[in-house]
Amino acid sequence: MSTGLERERPPVEVTEADLEAVIGDRALSRDDHLNAPGFVIRPDDVQDVLSDLKERAGFDHLSCLTAQQYEDRYESIYHMKKYADPTQEVSIVVPTPTDEPVSESAEPVFRTADWHEREAFDLVGIDYEGHPDPRRILLPETWQGHPLSHDYDQEKPQLVTLTEHANPVQPDHHEAESDTMFLNVGPHHPATHGVLHIKAVLDGESVVDVDPDIGYLHRCEEQMCQQGTYRHQIMPYPDRWDYVSAGLLNEWAYARAAEDLADIEVPEYAQIIRTMGAEFCRIASHMLALATFALDVYGDFTAIFQYGMRDREVVQDILEDLTGQRLMFNYFRLGGVAWDLPEPREEFFAKCRNFLDELPAKVDEYHDLLTGNEIFQVRTIDTGILEPDVAKDYGCTGPVARGSGIDYDLRRDDPYGYYPELDWNVVTMDGCDNYARVLTRMQEVEESAKIIEQCLDLLEDWPEDERDIQSNVPRTLKPDADSEIYRAVEGAKGELGIYIRSDGTDKPARFKIRSPCFHNLSALGEMVEDEYIPDLIASLGSLDIVLGEVDR
Amino acid sequence: MIGILKSMATTMKHALDGSTFTVEYPETAPDVSPRFRGVHKFSQERCIWCRQCENVCPNDTIQIVMDDKRNGEQYNLHIGQCIYCRLCEEVCPVDAILLTQNFEFTADTKHDFVYNKEQLKAVPWYKDIDPLESREPDRGAWIGEGDGEVDYQ
Amino acid sequence: MDGRIDAVAPAPLQNDETVLLPERIGELTGLDGFGVGGELLAAFLAAFLVGNLMLAMTGVAGPWAKRKITAAFTDRIAVNRLGPAGLFIIVADAVRLLSKELVIPENADRPAYDLAPIVVASSALLGFAVIPMGSGIHLADPEVGLAFVFAVAGIASIGLVMAGYASSNKYSLLGGLRAVAQNVAYEIPLVITGLSVVIFAGSLQMSTIVEAQAETLVDLGVVTIPAWYALVNPFAFVLFLLANFAEVGRNPFDTPEAPTEIVAGYQTEYSSVYFVLIYLGEFLHIFLGGAIIATIFLGGPAGPGPAELGIVWFLIKIWAVFLLTQWLRSAVPRVRIDQLIEIGWKGLLVLSFANLILTAVIVGLIA
Repeated sequence: MSTGLERERPPVEVTEADLEAVIGDRALSRDDHLNAPGFVIRPDDVQDVLSDLKERAGFDHLSCLTAQQYEDRYESIYHMKKYADPTQEVSIVVPTPTDEPVSESAEPVFRTADWHEREAFDLVGIDYEGHPDPRRILLPETWQGHPLSHDYDQEKPQLVTLTEHANPVQPDHHEAESDTMFLNVGPHHPATHGVLHIKAVLDGESVVDVDPDIGYLHRCEEQMCQQGTYRHQIMPYPDRWDYVSAGLLNEWAYARAAEDLADIEVPEYAQIIRTMGAEFCRIASHMLALATFALDVYGDFTAIFQYGMRDREVVQDILEDLTGQRLMFNYFRLGGVAWDLPEPREEFFAKCRNFLDELPAKVDEYHDLLTGNEIFQVRTIDTGILEPDVAKDYGCTGPVARGSGIDYDLRRDDPYGYYPELDWNVVTMDGCDNYARVLTRMQEVEESAKIIEQCLDLLEDWPEDERDIQSNVPRTLKPDADSEIYRAVEGAKGELGIYIRSDGTDKPARFKIRSPCFHNLSALGEMVEDEYIPDLIASLGSLDIVLGEVDR
Repeated sequence: MIGILKSMATTMKHALDGSTFTVEYPETAPDVSPRFRGVHKFSQERCIWCRQCENVCPNDTIQIVMDDKRNGEQYNLHIGQCIYCRLCEEVCPVDAILLTQNFEFTADTKHDFVYNKEQLKAVPWYKDIDPLESREPDRGAWIGEGDGEVDYQ
Repeated sequence: MDGRIDAVAPAPLQNDETVLLPERIGELTGLDGFGVGGELLAAFLAAFLVGNLMLAMTGVAGPWAKRKITAAFTDRIAVNRLGPAGLFIIVADAVRLLSKELVIPENADRPAYDLAPIVVASSALLGFAVIPMGSGIHLADPEVGLAFVFAVAGIASIGLVMAGYASSNKYSLLGGLRAVAQNVAYEIPLVITGLSVVIFAGSLQMSTIVEAQAETLVDLGVVTIPAWYALVNPFAFVLFLLANFAEVGRNPFDTPEAPTEIVAGYQTEYSSVYFVLIYLGEFLHIFLGGAIIATIFLGGPAGPGPAELGIVWFLIKIWAVFLLTQWLRSAVPRVRIDQLIEIGWKGLLVLSFANLILTAVIVGLIA
């Protein structure tokens, strides 16, 4: 575990001049975003530039890839960061002509580009040359057209015939002589945590290859946000991305991006409430992760699952008092929060403190039940290994990355809210296995409790006349045309980023969600190769994915 | 082995202490917070037909029909489609639309969930809690008007 | 120690005092006067009685007791709407399960698919034939009683593998294969550990084994502790318990079903009546396991009070074992299939042989 909020090794600062030197004359022009300097490059320079930035400038985190269509061109934006210091960002903008949207694939440089570029192809329609697996990812393979491209016909009915599922009991498509077995895990399976479909190839009981098939829960969240106004209509939707109680964390992702885009101040008091609410959500979310992981390893709806749900219930009650809803909070507003603390305030504080007082005993109980249990240890230690290098290559963040020893937490490294003023630790574990990920989550619950305690102290003593919960924000927000921003917060599952491009109207022209679950899930194949089926299930559980966020 | 025994002791402790966490609904009606957002209640006396709720609704749940003199004729709300974000209540300048704490509503088809004005007026309070009163201490905390341009349409 | 030495001494081959249930029914109803036919009918009646007793017990255990027990471990209430303490849910569930549509996969291997549930359920029922349950409820007492129980209980694995491959479902196949691998791995330690009891008792006959345990182990004056083999050889008892859990596929060894991994294993494709049969079979197997444990380690129907209470004590012992399976289910994770096989072959098998040899040496020295 690291100590304090200071990083042990301050990374080398890369200035814009350095970036210009690295990219050199491959940069056609500049296209700066509000969060980072942006360089426009040619479509066939992508691999070169990205690998130079990775090797020579230390940008080892391809955080996100945004694809969009303008009137005159397509554009892919590679948002790059450093795991050592996520405040150092650079955007690589790759325009491609409308009539021939072909760009070089970044997959050989960053494995995570694999799924990103498939999504960009699927939704926007940009082709990536040299991509090893250029299939659709969210929509069915027989889908016609690309929904986020300009000439897409929303009205046209789609006939979706799943050719490969024509007859689910027909013989395997694999060669007759091969001694492997093809197995569909999901989309309806007791352990897939939602509608996830894993195409697994088995050799006896051990897994030879897995191919997660996602998109069953694709609800066009990005498009819905593009149709909502900044001021009000977008905020209810983030709750529905990661819908298992991480709502406020998601709302913060949108709030942070939009507030930075429109230059909105948030009162300090509101920031404390936000911080407290967000950490309650993190506790609830981790409790559920722990409970369902126990479910995967233990087998039935056993005691630990129920205890986890029961303890999470207390958090849900507190959040209901605060926000008025148990899951779909819609509590944050641009420039603050919707309500002040509920009255009578003392009662609310007592309820929160009561929960915090009981938490250590509950955590001990989980340690007795789970981590101390020898069979649990045998099942989880050294299974589902995710090496730090691999995790970075796949863009893993959150507890998954921290369980692999990657010291990366946006609350500390890219400070927002009230986190920098509080005393807490970033939890990292070196185990890289399922056990380490469970322990990381359990300890993060304790750290979140520490944060909440300090927030409560501050809120109790806050001067009565300075309790501003919202700053003055105009009813209609129209950020400057052509301003672009990518901002991320530390969600329950990892780095939850939002890219917004404004076109001067009151609705975003492009709204892109960088989902941590999407990235974490893409690393599943690396974790489970040559493991047994039970470890495939356990590893999937330890990733703690929510399909609502994977598919968006 | 000690760990396994500890696990077993922990679950046995729970089995023997006899405490349960189950709420026996509907015998015991659960308590909901004053801020809880349930089915809408509409007040025609208060409504000034400004259509702000219809405008702010993120998924077109509210439909208002007016005659050519801008008098309100219909106020329809699809409570099955509503996402209970409470933005309509938040923007309403006269508290004409409120989200009660009532979460108990059923229907045979989803079309029955399209409530008209009369049905919306008849929605009962849950446990006789008037949300306007129970949320009263927080009324001042509602949305800031802002200095900028106000866009009602 | 005298008692034990006596017990080790060669027991009479046929215990004259034991009056078996068919004979008693024959006497009571006068059927014994009708020759072989009458005897057959009496035997059938007796078997009907015992079989229904066991089925009734699983009926209580499956839809009601299991829910209540699990609920207690998980801080819930469970069924409580129908009847006192929700007991009538048994009737409701029976109607519900039996009235469901029987869905049979297109490519199912028909005779095998249909037979599997029957094999699973009946193999367990057969085992109860030789179990002395006290109060005179004892169907048959062959000299090879213990071997018979192990033999018929082992038939269940055939049922499981039949269900597994005949369902034409990959999850079922995986479950069936797991079931066989597991049963083979654990049957041997189970039988070997059971043998150590036979060495003590000097007989495979169930009634003799029970009788041998009636001797006094320690006399504390106020209470007399009987020479139950669980107390005489606790090591063998623990080994047997473990192997038994694996044999009946309960936590932490429930890999053949493994709900979160392979959906429901061999029973994935079974619905309606077939599902009920398999479900019943599972509970019967747990109870049969409990009955074997009660008989060879816990003194069978022995207990304080008059001998007529024997059946009560016997049922209490069976339910105690059932409760233990549910307790483990609440607190112990499932081991992985490779770990399970490893524990079976490298751990339990070795330990059970060690136990057998040790027992043989000790018994040999004392006798």
